[in-house]
Amino acid sequence: MSRRTKSPSGVIDAPLDVAAQAKAREEGRPSVRDGRLKTYEPGANVGRFLELLGRRVSRPLAVSLTACVHCGRCAESCHYFLARPDDPTMTPVWKADQIRKIFKRHVDWTGRVAPWWAKAGTPDGDEDLNRLKNVVFGACSACRRCTFNCPMGVDTALLVRFTRGLLTELGIVPEGVFNVSRDQWETGNQMAVTETDFLETIEWMRDDLRAELGPGADIPVDRPDCDILYTINPREIKFDPRSIAHAARIFHAAGASWTLPKWGWDQTNFGLFSGDDALGAYVSRNLYEAAERLRARRIVISECGHGYRSTRWEGYTWSGYDQKLPTESIVAVLRRYLEEGRIVVDPGRNLEPVTFHDSCNIARSGDLVEEPRQVLRRVCADFREMHPNRQENFCCTGGGGLLAMAEYRPLRLEAGKVKAEQLKATEAALVCTMCHNCIDGLGDVIKHYHLPMRVVQVLELVSRALVLPAGS
Amino acid sequence: MSNLLRTFENEVQLAALAFMGLVYALRLVWIFRFRVGRERTVAVGREGAGTGYSLMNIAMPWAMESTRTHPGRYLEFVVLHLGIAAAIAASFIIPYGPGLFETAWVRGIFRAFIAAAGLAGLARLARRLTNPVLREISSPDDYFSLVFLIVWLAAGVLALPDRPAAGEGPLLAFFGLTAFLLVYVPFSKIGHYLYYPFSRIYLGRTLGHRGAWPPAAAKSAGAGPARKGAA
Ligand code: HEM
Ligand code: SF4
Ligand code: SF4
Repeated sequence: MSRRTKSPSGVIDAPLDVAAQAKAREEGRPSVRDGRLKTYEPGANVGRFLELLGRRVSRPLAVSLTACVHCGRCAESCHYFLARPDDPTMTPVWKADQIRKIFKRHVDWTGRVAPWWAKAGTPDGDEDLNRLKNVVFGACSACRRCTFNCPMGVDTALLVRFTRGLLTELGIVPEGVFNVSRDQWETGNQMAVTETDFLETIEWMRDDLRAELGPGADIPVDRPDCDILYTINPREIKFDPRSIAHAARIFHAAGASWTLPKWGWDQTNFGLFSGDDALGAYVSRNLYEAAERLRARRIVISECGHGYRSTRWEGYTWSGYDQKLPTESIVAVLRRYLEEGRIVVDPGRNLEPVTFHDSCNIARSGDLVEEPRQVLRRVCADFREMHPNRQENFCCTGGGGLLAMAEYRPLRLEAGKVKAEQLKATEAALVCTMCHNCIDGLGDVIKHYHLPMRVVQVLELVSRALVLPAGS
Repeated sequence: MSNLLRTFENEVQLAALAFMGLVYALRLVWIFRFRVGRERTVAVGREGAGTGYSLMNIAMPWAMESTRTHPGRYLEFVVLHLGIAAAIAASFIIPYGPGLFETAWVRGIFRAFIAAAGLAGLARLARRLTNPVLREISSPDDYFSLVFLIVWLAAGVLALPDRPAAGEGPLLAFFGLTAFLLVYVPFSKIGHYLYYPFSRIYLGRTLGHRGAWPPAAAKSAGAGPARKGAA
């Protein structure tokens, strides 16, 4: 770790806060007790880090670690660097170099023979590992924009996630990462929603739905043999259950056969952010097994960027589970319903100018770029693009789990400058996104930069435009 | 031609090439020792198309924002690499196909390419030295690779055989430097061309599988295995 360079933000020197870890140990929390969740022990961490590094590097990672030519072309693709153009520590290549130099020193040959020649090095101790933590957790939202702008195909975001995973094994993580991981390990969902909370919230939404649509309307839980197993983000239960009601209205209008599972309903996955593949595997397996248990014919994922990426793509790899069922986003389902005429919409009900924010995890690590646009053009009277867009869109600032890491908030919001400029230029009243993280990330940017707009989701706009059959 | 030059052009080059080949072979073994995970999802797009797009990305300056917004730098990269290719070709043509360089315009084209590459290299070196961001990310190897390349390209310009008065000195210098280059590259950042296909293939394959590359319009069945019943 370069001691010469100190980020003016102070992020690099943010201390390691282990109070929550100590408390969890003291309380004998199950995830800590049985070793699923690692806590920090001062001592031989550098040795363990190097051992893990050597053992876990995969071939795509190894080539990303060796292929960089230090051309610096990735710099301007990063929203952190755009906010701080004079700070080299904000460039993707500098961030990746912090792990690259350790790899070179211990795994690669030139760095082993002549470390100074290749700027290779070993972390001096836990303090250096803590600095590394602050780089990979605090100054990168793992948005993958730099990856898409590297002529060599170096996947810096992948390196960042990998490094996070090594540090997670040592408990050298921001407190928020520890807390959320603990909750997801212990309750099966990121927000520690209990089964009672879950069922009561669903019941409340079901009552509202029936009041509007009649006794035939339902939000089924654990119903076997449905076409759709609908999986959601715990934020929907905790803070925004209307999104479940929107989905239910639309499923009702389309005559869909669907259910939520009582267990395995969380499609989000903090393992993606912490780099902990074991947590990733546990959470996604819960969900795939729920689909099997209920004999659902398709898994549908509510609007969530990292949840979609985790459940649709990475989860199968983490959990060693061969994909058996179609697994898709609710937005793809909405598009199909519109295309097939299964729902009728009136764009006149969404008259405000609407723009769309592409979630990084969906546009750059997934496949849904045109689908949300096709839906929005059908349900909004004034849809306008934000620039740049699609795979070139900028992060909402909340990617990579940063919303759970309060210590990096000032830098995150500063890095939101380019997003704020993008939003402002659209002159839209609503910014639509298909991601719950982005709702909060964009909400923060809007508040911080005093923008006159509000964040909505695709489901909300479709539900608003939905023309229900007479008699409903 | 002196015996020394003949040895430099032939035995020394071949030995250096063999050394480079051997080190690269070892490097390939090293790369293949790292495991690669098995894809368990059903593809949305085509891995081959994604891989092709990824590999050809370098020849599509419109594809990346970083090249689109800096066309001058892209041009510089092209000029540098074309000149490098010309100098490498010259190191084979001089000993094994000298007839080609008897034509003045052929020599002229090679000289122009190699000289332009040298200038592009100089521009890059200047930027690396003066831009604080690039300075911070640069290692001694980054500087040395560029300086060495510039010197080697300059030797290439001087070595093209149309100035008998200059004697064998320029040719000896060019072939000596070429031999050093061949021995040095596998250990330096210049070895990036060995990794390029790997990094681009792995990225392209993943993104092709997911339907993200090549960037395309919406898909009608992007969810995975064949649909069983309406949803
Ligand atoms: C398959 C062949 C090759 C590919 C795909 C390739 C690709 C690249 C790319 C993408 C860059 C970064 C460009 C930029 O900054 O805009 C680069 C830089 C560079 N390449 Fe290559 N390259 C190849 C072969 C070579 C060879 C054979 C050499 C020398 C013998 C070479 C020497 C360099 C040098 C010195 C730089 C860095 C320039 C700097 O430091 O600014 N390349 N190459
Ligand atoms: S663009 Fe790619 S090769 Fe160039 S410095 Fe960035 S990561 Fe390295
Ligand atoms: S992944 Fe995104 S935030 Fe991280 S370095 Fe790259 S561009 Fe910056």
